[in-house]
Amino acid sequence: MVIKVKNLVKRYSELIALDHLSFSVRKGEIFGLLGPNGSGKTTAINCILSLLKYDKGEIEIFDKPMTPEAYDIKRNIGIVMQNVAVYNELSVYENIDYFCGLYVKDKNLRKKLVDEAIEFVDLNDYRKFYPNKLSGGLLRRLNIACGIAHKPELIILDEPTVAVDPQSRNKILEGIKELNKKGATIIYTSHYMEEVEQICSRIMIIDKGRAIATGTKEELKAMITLGEKITVESYDISEEHLIRLKNLPNIVSVEYKEQLLEIKSSKGKNNLENVLEFIKRENIQFGKIYSELPTLNDVFLEITGKELRD
Amino acid sequence: MFAHIFNYRLKCLLRDKITIFWTIAFPLILAIFFKLAFSNIGNQEVFKVIDIAVVENSQYQEDQNFRLALDEVSKGDSRLFNITVATAEEAKKLLDENLIKGYIIVDNQIKLVVKESGLSQNIIKSFIDNYLQTVSAASTIIQNDPSNQQEILKSLADRKNYIKEVTGTGAKPNSILNYFYSLIAMACFYGGFFGMRETTDIQANISTLAARINVAPVHKLKTFLYSLCAALLIHSVEMLALLGFMHYVLKIEFGYRAGFVVLTTIIGSIAGVLMGALISATVKKSEGLKVAAVLTISMLGSFLAGMMFQDMKYIIAQNVPILSYINPINLLTDALYSLYYYDNLSRYFLNMVFLSVFTILATFGTYLILRRRKYASL
Ligand SMILES: Nc1ncnc2c1ncn2[C@@H]1O[C@H](COP(=O)(O)OP(=O)(O)OP(=O)(O)O)[C@@H](O)[C@H]1O
Ligand SMILES: [Mg+2]
Repeated sequence: MVIKVKNLVKRYSELIALDHLSFSVRKGEIFGLLGPNGSGKTTAINCILSLLKYDKGEIEIFDKPMTPEAYDIKRNIGIVMQNVAVYNELSVYENIDYFCGLYVKDKNLRKKLVDEAIEFVDLNDYRKFYPNKLSGGLLRRLNIACGIAHKPELIILDEPTVAVDPQSRNKILEGIKELNKKGATIIYTSHYMEEVEQICSRIMIIDKGRAIATGTKEELKAMITLGEKITVESYDISEEHLIRLKNLPNIVSVEYKEQLLEIKSSKGKNNLENVLEFIKRENIQFGKIYSELPTLNDVFLEITGKELRD
Repeated sequence: MFAHIFNYRLKCLLRDKITIFWTIAFPLILAIFFKLAFSNIGNQEVFKVIDIAVVENSQYQEDQNFRLALDEVSKGDSRLFNITVATAEEAKKLLDENLIKGYIIVDNQIKLVVKESGLSQNIIKSFIDNYLQTVSAASTIIQNDPSNQQEILKSLADRKNYIKEVTGTGAKPNSILNYFYSLIAMACFYGGFFGMRETTDIQANISTLAARINVAPVHKLKTFLYSLCAALLIHSVEMLALLGFMHYVLKIEFGYRAGFVVLTTIIGSIAGVLMGALISATVKKSEGLKVAAVLTISMLGSFLAGMMFQDMKYIIAQNVPILSYINPINLLTDALYSLYYYDNLSRYFLNMVFLSVFTILATFGTYLILRRRKYASL
């Protein structure tokens, strides 16, 4: 196990930020920590890194207990903090070199690593720039480079793509997959379910400091009753239609709002076909019609009763 | 690792324009301002001849140059001194009865004994300093070419030199030097801005950057110490530059104990940096509050040490003496002052002992706070 967290409890006076949180991260995984704002993702990471005191629980990294003095563990961790943490007086190159130098003593090796990191986040044109001359997205990329330049075995990224444009975001996500392929174990924190779905091999959904579900995205989706979501664009639906639709086999709920008919069905065959048949039979005029498989948002919704996105 | 952290820290701090401004540009500007404010005063001063005594002993008899110099400054209408030659006991008695402002003993050194400090005392002191600097250094020239002698002695006796050098605002005769001393002391304690940055950048509960540093595999106190070295180096160099500027450009005379002055300033700089470190470690989050604390302590301290208003120093010394001893800026000002005015160094060392205690306490306090590595809240 790369990380083992057992019964972690963290209180901020009244507030219970982490409530008996347990999970483990296996070697070679991209482990996603998915949860809405304030669910305790950053708190969990700060506890894992021994920055925060916690009230209860055990934390092991590389099968050894994690402490502030565990330098051989720390040497193999790369961390990208949620808030950008770079020196304003150092250039892009110098910042990466500074942080890398805290891990890697050999100068030549370091130079190579820094160059690779700059390449990785695509900041080659900005080597000599100071942080205050970088846009928000570029700054995020610098923040990432500072955390991963030393090629650690375990990389922890806390919402690294906030404020990054979609193109760079994709590049970063691809890069993370690449790092993973080269052997790094990754913990990826986000409240964007698309990102987590796109790259994570295993996902833990947390809410209010509690783990509410853990598994691959397929496993998570299999946990819920929702099978698919069928949406029909139409002007032409009456109350009576809705009642009769609801009575079709497998249909869980039917909603009609602003010319959009949303039908949720549980798992099973021929759901879309049944709906189409019904529409034809009733001679309902319609525009588009499409069916979607459940997302992690649906998983979250079904378990907690609220949307993941705020 | 030391070189890596130290070098990058130097870069960081040297590029931190705001800190550099407060720690060197601001004191330089104030020094120029002081110089301008004090330089055109004093010429119109009415000069009263000063009564002094010189102790008759064999060294005095043998020191021909000094006797010549005393002769030169005690004759004519524009003389500086009325001199009585007396035995040691007589001289002491004269001083006790306030009949003279001070008396001179020629020992292996030339010593001045005074009862209080003031304009006259400062003039006597300046005369002796000038004598030591010009005449004794030039005594070989005098011996080889007696025609130079008169000229050198004349310049030594020129009142204008002393009045210019010694008078303060005219009303406050106790020398303008003290203003510069308290300015140096203030500048030393502005080093607190560097100390402040050092703790801010290492305390994970204060800044994200520090949290980032704390997850690296380097001992926290080592990182702190290495960066602190950079801060101390930069600030000491700044303070030496300030001293150099005052001395060479503004022509401010710090007396003949240059080595001590430099040493004192460097110790002051260390005290200032560590005070800032302690403040930053104690005041945790608010950046504004920290800056305010450093500024308040330095400014208030310098005010109480007489930077804006000369008499303040004496008012405090007389009414709240304890404050003189716990105000590190006063300690530093007074240390520099004693170096200049007193031949005996005991007052200087007393100041330095208190200042060192202050520095050690600040260091220890900072250590106690920095030692913690995990926080209840970030
Ligand atoms: N220093 C603190 N003092 C008190 N409460 C805190 C502190 N830090 C975090 N919290 C609270 O703990 C809870 C978890 O916060 P945390 O920052 O871990 O959430 P998060 O999942 O990282 O959220 P986000 O997606 O916004 O980053 C929140 O309710 C937050 O308000
Ligand atoms: Mg967070």
